[in-house]
Amino acid sequence: MLDLLKNQLLFSGLLIAVLMGAINLGVAYCTFYERKISAWIQNREGPNRVGFFGLFWGFHFWGYGQPMADGLKFLLKEEMIPDKADKPLYVMAPAISFIVSTIGIAVIPWGGYLDIDADGIVDVACQVANPDIGLLYVLGVGSLGVYGVVLGAWASNNKYSLFGGIRAAAQMLSYEIPLGLAILVVVLSCGEVRLENIVRAQIEGGGTWNVFVHPLAFFLLFVTQLAETNRAPFDMAESEQELVGGFHTEYGALKFALFFLSEYTHMIINSAFLCVLFLGGWHFPWIPGLGLEDTAWWAVLAKMAMLGTKIAGCVFVYMWIRWTLPRFRFDQLMRLAWKGLIPTGLGLVALAVVMTYFGIPGSESVWPKLIWGLGGNAAVLFMVVLVVGMSPAGVTGRQANMPPISLLSPAKRVPRADQGTAN
Amino acid sequence: MNASLPYLIYALFAVGGAGIYLALPRSGRSTAVPGSILGLAAVGMFVAVVAKYALPSEGAGFSYLFSAMALIGAGRVVTHPKAVYCVLYFVLVIISVSMLLVLQGAEFLAIALIVVYAGAILVTYAFVLMLSQQSASVPGDVRSREPFLAVLAGFFTMACIAGQVGDLPLAAAPSSEQVIRLAQHGEADQAVMPEMMVDGNTAAMGAALMTKYVVTLETTGVLLLVALVGAMAVAKKRVPIEESPDPEKPLGQVGREAAPF
Amino acid sequence: MITEDDIIIVDDMRRDMSLTERFYLPQIAQGLSVTLRRMFTKRVTLQYPEMRREPKLEGDLTDPHSQLNASRYRGVHRLNRDPDGRVACVACFMCETACPAHCIHIDAAESPWPDREKYPAKFDIDELRCIYCGMCEEACPVDAIELTYEYDLVGNTRNEMIFDKGKLLEVFDETCQIKPRRNPRITGYAGTGSPDHQPARPTGEQH
Repeated sequence: MLDLLKNQLLFSGLLIAVLMGAINLGVAYCTFYERKISAWIQNREGPNRVGFFGLFWGFHFWGYGQPMADGLKFLLKEEMIPDKADKPLYVMAPAISFIVSTIGIAVIPWGGYLDIDADGIVDVACQVANPDIGLLYVLGVGSLGVYGVVLGAWASNNKYSLFGGIRAAAQMLSYEIPLGLAILVVVLSCGEVRLENIVRAQIEGGGTWNVFVHPLAFFLLFVTQLAETNRAPFDMAESEQELVGGFHTEYGALKFALFFLSEYTHMIINSAFLCVLFLGGWHFPWIPGLGLEDTAWWAVLAKMAMLGTKIAGCVFVYMWIRWTLPRFRFDQLMRLAWKGLIPTGLGLVALAVVMTYFGIPGSESVWPKLIWGLGGNAAVLFMVVLVVGMSPAGVTGRQANMPPISLLSPAKRVPRADQGTAN
Repeated sequence: MNASLPYLIYALFAVGGAGIYLALPRSGRSTAVPGSILGLAAVGMFVAVVAKYALPSEGAGFSYLFSAMALIGAGRVVTHPKAVYCVLYFVLVIISVSMLLVLQGAEFLAIALIVVYAGAILVTYAFVLMLSQQSASVPGDVRSREPFLAVLAGFFTMACIAGQVGDLPLAAAPSSEQVIRLAQHGEADQAVMPEMMVDGNTAAMGAALMTKYVVTLETTGVLLLVALVGAMAVAKKRVPIEESPDPEKPLGQVGREAAPF
Repeated sequence: MITEDDIIIVDDMRRDMSLTERFYLPQIAQGLSVTLRRMFTKRVTLQYPEMRREPKLEGDLTDPHSQLNASRYRGVHRLNRDPDGRVACVACFMCETACPAHCIHIDAAESPWPDREKYPAKFDIDELRCIYCGMCEEACPVDAIELTYEYDLVGNTRNEMIFDKGKLLEVFDETCQIKPRRNPRITGYAGTGSPDHQPARPTGEQH
């Protein structure tokens, strides 16, 4: 039995089964915690009634049965296909969305290497596949994610859905570029494209996770991932208030559930990716068993738990942001990408190139990395603030083609009371 | 190798071309069914010929599968009457071809193909085509334009390329094995290749791009930049700022100002 | 019609954004800190079936989460009894006339008692049709019909939700401990057994 597990192919198969289960369960509880966190932010309790089929003497476990109830509801709803919809695409779109967001789990290094029979020889990698292009694979799969949204929107034959799809496409195209730039910073500073080796590079470099060296790139990647997953404040594609749900307006029952699941799966995979690239993957200093040399099964489980904790933290921030920030207007969205994130990303790539030229990432000591990285990031940030400060001031709530404020007649300008300005 | 084999392959191209020509959307009576049968027959026979003469190799089954997917998908790209489906079949072709590249050990090219074509360019296509009508009722969608000339030009080009790659008589090029050998053990790359080849070829590819082909790469980049600037120059419409007739009531302020919140 | 003078431009909307506002991030951090603090404040939710707001007529009614002002709440109706235990209604049809939802139906009959001419032989309120506006209560000259603090009214059928006279009197019996009947203001009839009878009207207006 143990010998069978030593085969990487069989182990990967087992890992896929476990991960699919874990991620689907995680997604279910993500929806639960999304509601909980929204409730907590709004001083409410959130769902706290559903238990487990009245078992356990009717004790309701603070609502932890809620995801099961939701799933059951989705299963039992009527499957509807609008009359004028493009049927093959209408049915395919949620599936495409879900598949594309799920296959990203293949290259995430969940727990380093595993020595099953404790003979000191590493048997298998705790990773479904470790291709030479691991990082680019995630990028490629992520870039396909928009198809489900776009096709679902088009196939619904609904104008609001179409608006949602068009917004999603334009947004996704714009935010791929800063995403790529942020990833490029990691590739340059680690000199690796295999995700396992990126984790290794972060650990071997004195435990300096990339986030400490390139905090701005971390931020850039996080923002673009928010946009890629269509999460607030970038949820233009489904904006409930304007587009009544956007691309999934016409979807119901299990097909809607698939869209829903794929959004949350995408969140989890993206968080895992973010953790691996910037937060040291499964590594955490000062905790025994999380080092490179620990390959026993319990150490691998601890590593997976650590990565899971980090992912949970990232997902929490996603939800926290969603229930805090209002949605961007579309021109603001585009301006942020093209005038804000992309120049910043280019500056960070230039910084990473300079650091690589001077051999900083390969140095044994921690300090040159931190000094160069943080100093360079501060310089880039300073440049950005300088450019923002020197560019003509944007005005709240105004279209760009409207006349400047000075043209308005003074008589009609009513100062706000607490400003206390004259006229 | 059989001397008549190249001509058999050209004949199969011709059959495939005829099938595509018949399957192209047209006004009047549709000939899509016989066209599809002809095209599928050509693909099937081509696979049979290749299977007979190809050397046995690992993953050959996948290779046939993805090749057939790519060929049939490419046929549907030009013959499907609905534009959005054409884009989707194009995506299918891209994915199949990238799988073929993976089978050849060129993972980087495969992913680059997906990121650039499926992830960016075809999304842009889909973006535009989504605005087209869902039911293909416009004549431009239903009828293909110059089907005969297009098919002729396309398949003649394909025959020429096939002749370049393999041992077909249209071109006297080095055999594919020689090409691969040259690429793997080219002199300029030898300094960086050997140790990196063990780990996969992405690093070697990057090194080759940044050393041997750096001028080409940068020229391509500059070309794209020029195209970008040119496209913006063409697309940017200069709108004259209208003069407000009433200086007391500037432009865009005709009615009651709606406060955003 | 909107004239020129009606156009008002609030200057605040035209304010130039400050540097921090244009840079987004400080503002976003501020917003996030607000919501984070919110997450750890006391919840305002009342866990309804287990926890209920306590109906009170007077005293400290400042906490809306635990107390319910029984003197104002417009819940299920009741038909008051006078101190002798008889139905207080005089079948004047004021409430039926005032009702905007037409949910009150009264059949008047000659009163068996000497102190009034009519009494309601039937008094039905369709609780499903009622909009709980309280206009019947305001219209009633003898304060016979009142709205109580009971808000969780459920039933299995529509017929069950049509309350007749007996049911409405039962509601009075159940709620009169917490919300006693106010004294009638107009007829002056106070019954016989009420020890704390006082005229509701200010003395200055009495003639």
